[in-house]
Amino acid sequence: QIGFSLSQCHPFCHQTQVRPLHGSGCGQQQEAIGMETRPETFSIFRTQENDPACQSEQHLGQYYTVPPSHFHTVFPHGLPPRYQQQVKTFNEGCVMVRQPALELISHLKRADYSKPTLRYLLYGVKGSGKTMSLCHTVHYCSTQGWLVLHIPDAHLWVKNCKELLPSSYHASRFDQPIQASNWLRNFRTTNEHFLSKIKLRQRYVWTKRESTEEGRPLGELVDMGVSRVKSSSDVVGAVLKELRLQAGGTEGGFRLAVAVDGVNGLWGRTTLKKEDKSPVAPEELTLVHNLRKMINNDWCGGAVIATLSQTGSLYAPSSAYLPQELLGEEGFDSMDPFVPVPVSLYSEKEFESCYLYYLDHIHFHHWLQHPHSQTEEGKKELIFLSNRNPSVLERLCAFL
Amino acid sequence: MASTSGLRTTLSKMAASLTGLLKPWTPRVLLVRWSRYNPYYLEPEPRKEVYHIPETELTPEQKEERELKSVRPIKAATNSVTSSVFNDPVLSKFVNMMMKDGDKIIAKGIITQTLENMKRKQVEKYHKAPEGKKAEIECNPYAIFHQALENCKPVIGLASIQKGGKFYQVPIPLTDNRRRFLAMKWMITECRDNKHRRTLMYEKLSQELLAAFSKEGNVVKRKHELHKMAESNRAYAHYRWW
Repeated sequence: QIGFSLSQCHPFCHQTQVRPLHGSGCGQQQEAIGMETRPETFSIFRTQENDPACQSEQHLGQYYTVPPSHFHTVFPHGLPPRYQQQVKTFNEGCVMVRQPALELISHLKRADYSKPTLRYLLYGVKGSGKTMSLCHTVHYCSTQGWLVLHIPDAHLWVKNCKELLPSSYHASRFDQPIQASNWLRNFRTTNEHFLSKIKLRQRYVWTKRESTEEGRPLGELVDMGVSRVKSSSDVVGAVLKELRLQAGGTEGGFRLAVAVDGVNGLWGRTTLKKEDKSPVAPEELTLVHNLRKMINNDWCGGAVIATLSQTGSLYAPSSAYLPQELLGEEGFDSMDPFVPVPVSLYSEKEFESCYLYYLDHIHFHHWLQHPHSQTEEGKKELIFLSNRNPSVLERLCAFL
Repeated sequence: MASTSGLRTTLSKMAASLTGLLKPWTPRVLLVRWSRYNPYYLEPEPRKEVYHIPETELTPEQKEERELKSVRPIKAATNSVTSSVFNDPVLSKFVNMMMKDGDKIIAKGIITQTLENMKRKQVEKYHKAPEGKKAEIECNPYAIFHQALENCKPVIGLASIQKGGKFYQVPIPLTDNRRRFLAMKWMITECRDNKHRRTLMYEKLSQELLAAFSKEGNVVKRKHELHKMAESNRAYAHYRWW
């Protein structure tokens, strides 16, 4: 099915090369119909420019398709759950090119990577598209060949942890084996090609009989962390340290992108409790401790892109969205100085584009099925009901 | 407006006698359930088109109606009345029937999740279908809902009539409202009772609606059983006197 939709995506090659997979007599007719109407719809809300590096202001408000081959490697985790459902239903992953993401990408293109890392913070009201902008930037980084450290939601590490083991490395810290091994598995899927190239610079001893020698590839460390769940949190710490040391290196240097969603979870409170029912502070968790070291700007050769999130946050009021409110004193002081990138609700042009995308009937049967939603009246009502908020609009169009 | 304030105090006194809780701090104007309005009050008009007709194009009846509305008091509109283009009276009735303890938000939420679920299933089926079959797949959840309900409506019903000391199940014609009510009631009870403990309501409801749309499933079976019972009891049809 994905092959079929790809053939529909490329108007220049459909007649010569790719035939629809479920072809029959009326396949020809459908292609003919598609050819007439496709150019207009493409120019308004879709763009052929699928490479984030080449997207510019002229593509603002237009949807580009993430190539299906990249999809599972770049985004094994990290996409919002409703968007994942949408991708499964539509058989394609389309992302809108919006101003915050373009701004971030232009900063990343022009930054000086011999200086200490710049921290970028995406903030905005609930549902305005911060996670999607982050994912767009992550796609750019992976197409440029950077090593991407994507933490899908830092809040998942500070709440709902069934197993909290005392850390073997440091007496007062706690390990989270399940979360750490899950993250390592996804990290391995994203960065397969880097795992054999990066060599460790230090010897790591796990138990009396096990140790990883200097010079072994990173892949071995990650595999060990995935298989030996007990020491996976320490493995995460080791991986982060190695990457931090080697990121700006001159020989075989790679650029490191640390993308953290819900970074305000790292400073604040947790809902986890020790055995004597006293609350666990975030510093006492190994994963959080190591991630905080990563977010500090004492290393060079990469960038830290973070998003604030009130949705999964603990003990934060639902109306809070500004960095000061969500990060708190401690968080703000650690993140300071950072480049703030505000993410706003859809502008008129972006709303038009989104509405036309849901109305598109060539690639998938109208998503907007209600007869009245396709009229002007219905559109005005959608604007009123959603206030142009992307997530609210998506939920409305889902059942209309 | 002395008449309205007089009416309101009468209403509040009615409320006091009904609820017995009128205290010094309760507001004098109360919204009372099932309050009977004075017939002097007119119904509210929620549709937007009526207000957009310019002055010149009004017929004499409409002009008269407008003048009447400017002098007479109007009843308060209930919460379920909307001027939205997406308003569907059948769907609203279904939501009200599904509602428990007056919690319309949860009931409406279940229905919207059901509609979304149905649409997703149908769109996925559409993508997997071969070219010839694509046009037959209905993706509009509202169309599916209406058609499924139509397929569940019984044509003939049974009434328990006493004759000579015994009660007989007599086939009787049903009004439209009764048929719609029975279809909705059967759908909701089926989805509440015959599901696995861990299946959510919207999941089960979307399965049942899709089955009813293609005339399969337990609700349509129940309708057929009712028809069979009525057919088998045709001999008693003359016991009906209306």
